[in-house]
Amino acid sequence: MKRTEEKKIKIRIIIVGVIFTVFYLVIGAKAAYEQIYRGPTLSQKAADQYEKMYYASGKRGTIYDSKHKEMGVSIDSISIGAYPKKIKDKKDDSKTIAKYLDVNEKRLLKKLNSKKSFVWIKRHVTPKKAKNIKDLNFEGVDFIKEHTRVYPKKTIAAQLIGFSGIDGKGLEGIEFYYDSYLEGEDAEQVVIKDALGRGFDHEKRVSDYNGNNLILTIDSTIQYIAERALEKTVNDFGARSGMAIIMDPKTGAILAHAHYPFFNLNSFGKYDRGLWRNRAITDPFEPGSTMKTFLAAAAIESGYCSPDSIFQCNGEHNIEEELWEGAKEKQWKTLQQIIKFSDNNGAVKVAEMIGNKNLYNTLKDFGFGSKTGIDCPGETSGSLKSYLRWSKVEAGTISYGYGISVSAIQLITAVSAIANGGVLMKPYIVKAITDENGQFVSSFRPQRVRRVISETTAKTVRDIMATVTTSGGTGVGAAIEGFKVSGKTGTARKINKKGEYEKGKCIASFIGFAPGDNPELAVLVTVDEPQIKHSGGAVAAPAFKKIVSETFNYLTITPQIAAVRK
Amino acid sequence: MITKNRKKNSGGYDFSLLLPVLLLVGIGIVMVYSASSEVAFKKYGNDYLFLKKQGIATLIGIFAMIVFSYTPYRLLRHFSYLFLITGLGLLIILKVSGMGYEAGGATRWLRFKGFSFQPSEFARFALVIYMAYSLSKKHENIKNLYIGFLPHVIVLGIFSALIFMQPDFGSVVILAIITWIMMFVGGVRIMHLTTSLLLILPVAVYYMMTAQYRIQRLISFLDPWKYPRDEGYQIIHSLMAFGTGGLWGSGIGQGYQKLFYLPEPHTDFIFSVIGEELGFVGVVIIISLYALVLWRGIIIAKNTDDLFGSYLALGLTVAIGLQVFFNMGVALALFPTKGLTLPFLSYGGTSLLLNMAFVGILMNIGRSG
Repeated sequence: MKRTEEKKIKIRIIIVGVIFTVFYLVIGAKAAYEQIYRGPTLSQKAADQYEKMYYASGKRGTIYDSKHKEMGVSIDSISIGAYPKKIKDKKDDSKTIAKYLDVNEKRLLKKLNSKKSFVWIKRHVTPKKAKNIKDLNFEGVDFIKEHTRVYPKKTIAAQLIGFSGIDGKGLEGIEFYYDSYLEGEDAEQVVIKDALGRGFDHEKRVSDYNGNNLILTIDSTIQYIAERALEKTVNDFGARSGMAIIMDPKTGAILAHAHYPFFNLNSFGKYDRGLWRNRAITDPFEPGSTMKTFLAAAAIESGYCSPDSIFQCNGEHNIEEELWEGAKEKQWKTLQQIIKFSDNNGAVKVAEMIGNKNLYNTLKDFGFGSKTGIDCPGETSGSLKSYLRWSKVEAGTISYGYGISVSAIQLITAVSAIANGGVLMKPYIVKAITDENGQFVSSFRPQRVRRVISETTAKTVRDIMATVTTSGGTGVGAAIEGFKVSGKTGTARKINKKGEYEKGKCIASFIGFAPGDNPELAVLVTVDEPQIKHSGGAVAAPAFKKIVSETFNYLTITPQIAAVRK
Repeated sequence: MITKNRKKNSGGYDFSLLLPVLLLVGIGIVMVYSASSEVAFKKYGNDYLFLKKQGIATLIGIFAMIVFSYTPYRLLRHFSYLFLITGLGLLIILKVSGMGYEAGGATRWLRFKGFSFQPSEFARFALVIYMAYSLSKKHENIKNLYIGFLPHVIVLGIFSALIFMQPDFGSVVILAIITWIMMFVGGVRIMHLTTSLLLILPVAVYYMMTAQYRIQRLISFLDPWKYPRDEGYQIIHSLMAFGTGGLWGSGIGQGYQKLFYLPEPHTDFIFSVIGEELGFVGVVIIISLYALVLWRGIIIAKNTDDLFGSYLALGLTVAIGLQVFFNMGVALALFPTKGLTLPFLSYGGTSLLLNMAFVGILMNIGRSG
């Protein structure tokens, strides 16, 4: 009896053990259910509570011109967003908000009904409007400090500077090219909050997110001078468009980079996209007679010629507007005269003398056919075929600028090499990057690419080019009293869609530098399809003169100073 | 078979019991620190506060365990009435003396010279010893209603009434279940046990319904997501902790729910913090460790020839096991919230000290049984 009772007790003890084991298994099963099966849902719910989106949009850096004037600057603005999950009465709220903010009610409601954790209601509103909404105390509506990009100089250097979009991302021009430097850091970040709403991660100061500033080589006053002159020229001649570039030939720094027609960076969306393009960098064109400059350089450098070498030409002066149509009355001209009068036939003769290879190599050394490496997006390399593939006609036409295409930046860079004594410089737009406190992050020094021609050759070519602006020369319109001005005109016929050269559609250009023997400025002016007059000498040379003389005025470069510097 | 067991347990420590307990205590210290440091820092300016206190309690607990493991458990038999009266006395003092310390709407703690103490924990200990003593003594007449059943129910009733008044419903439930299980094992008629249960049930239900906070707890338990800010707050944050932990957990110290979301993250809801930081894997390990402790206790109870020792071992094992079950069940929303700690793991000196003492006694029973 006692034995059996003891046994029963032991059995009951085991029963208790088994029951508790079942209890523990139930716990384990429930844990598996909550942690494995329901885990993702629960953790999302948890995250919704303790994660708060924190928008620390660092300010985009400022773009300054070389005189530290603001070209592009970000100012504080407020954007309104919403956490759809936290909004209870979506229909009612969207109605009210739509009314206050002047946004489409249906579209707003659609946004609020979306599954996204955050949506924008309206970006960049005025503080007053934001306050109106704030006062209504909507749950789930958030106000985020953002920045709006403003371009105080509006149209100035618009194609060069480019712009940034609503998210503060650079879309065009310098804004695009230097976006990684300019942009403020990490615009949004998740901050973990405890139940009392305090952040646990150490929040960075917003200023830590600020982007860097750019200091351009552009001087906005010179830019303004160039733009006004360009505007006047294009309008006076009923042209389609124009470009003007001013370079410091010694360094390759771009002082002005003008395109016409203008567009206002603050409302870029209202303009035709075609206007946004930095055409001086991206668009190749047939340069025409300005190329003779480099032909002359090749001729002198080759040693076969001197300025006084005589060539038998077909007798037509300044035949640019009529393509080379074969020999007429024969006439003897020196190399210098060929340049001065821009004699295509003479140019062909010069090219024949120095040979294709020589010409090709010199052009190549001047940077044609390859990118200059300027710090702008979308640069074209133009086209310069290898001399081995030149046809007989091409071998001649290339000498006066057909059958080759160049960009405006290539042209000004190449001519600067002649101006500075024979060294090709790399053109650049940004001379320094500074942080928000103005401390230098990096600065860019002028970069030599290569020596193209000897100093003597360069001087000889400069002298030849100086005759262009003297009496009888094609570029006499560019002459500035008291200064020696070297230059070369160009009047290039445009090719139409059929691949034919079209009469009356030209690119008139002038390329040059001054003061003649120690050039401070190299300037290129091109005018697309001038109507009243067509030649570079008539259209572009006066613009060149206006730009250079006004800029000299601004820089207080006087004939005396120029002489002393010489 | 019995001799074999005796041999096994005759000398040194019972590692199959000691090891899981020490592991749990060790994990407990780490998790108490992880769970409490932010709260301790924000409230008291010292993130090590609870870690330090728990560390001291652990040392005292281990000392108590060693002392009890060498104290012949049979001596406890002589103290059963003394403990019972002390337990009652402490509960009465808590009620009338004003030395009670109120937390969360209930007075469950006695505070004496900076030392807090929970009388209901001691009452549980006293009741287990009394039950073991009484059941073994009345073994022959256990089937008798007036000898085997009623006296125990009356003692339980007195304790329950006093603890009800704190109020601490959870402890009453645990006390009642321990008593019932011990009576069941001791051989009290199943008839008595079930009939009385049916009689008590309406009383319990009535009691549940009379206190507003209990109704709220019940409602929130049934549908916590409906009351995320009010009654359901604790439960859903506990569940979120488990859900966030997933399979592998977010790593020790990496949990978020303890950051003022979970009430009492280092005491009542330490299991939720474990669930979040150590994941399901950690939860399974913890449950397994408790299962080892449970079965070691059950085996000791089964293998002990001495009835008092056997009942005592079972009572202590059940006391620990029930508290584990209810604490975890609350954290996982199987039960409405109760203020129960998780043995060995939760922060709390009384709880740790008593549970370690229980282990010491179990070891002694195992050794001498």
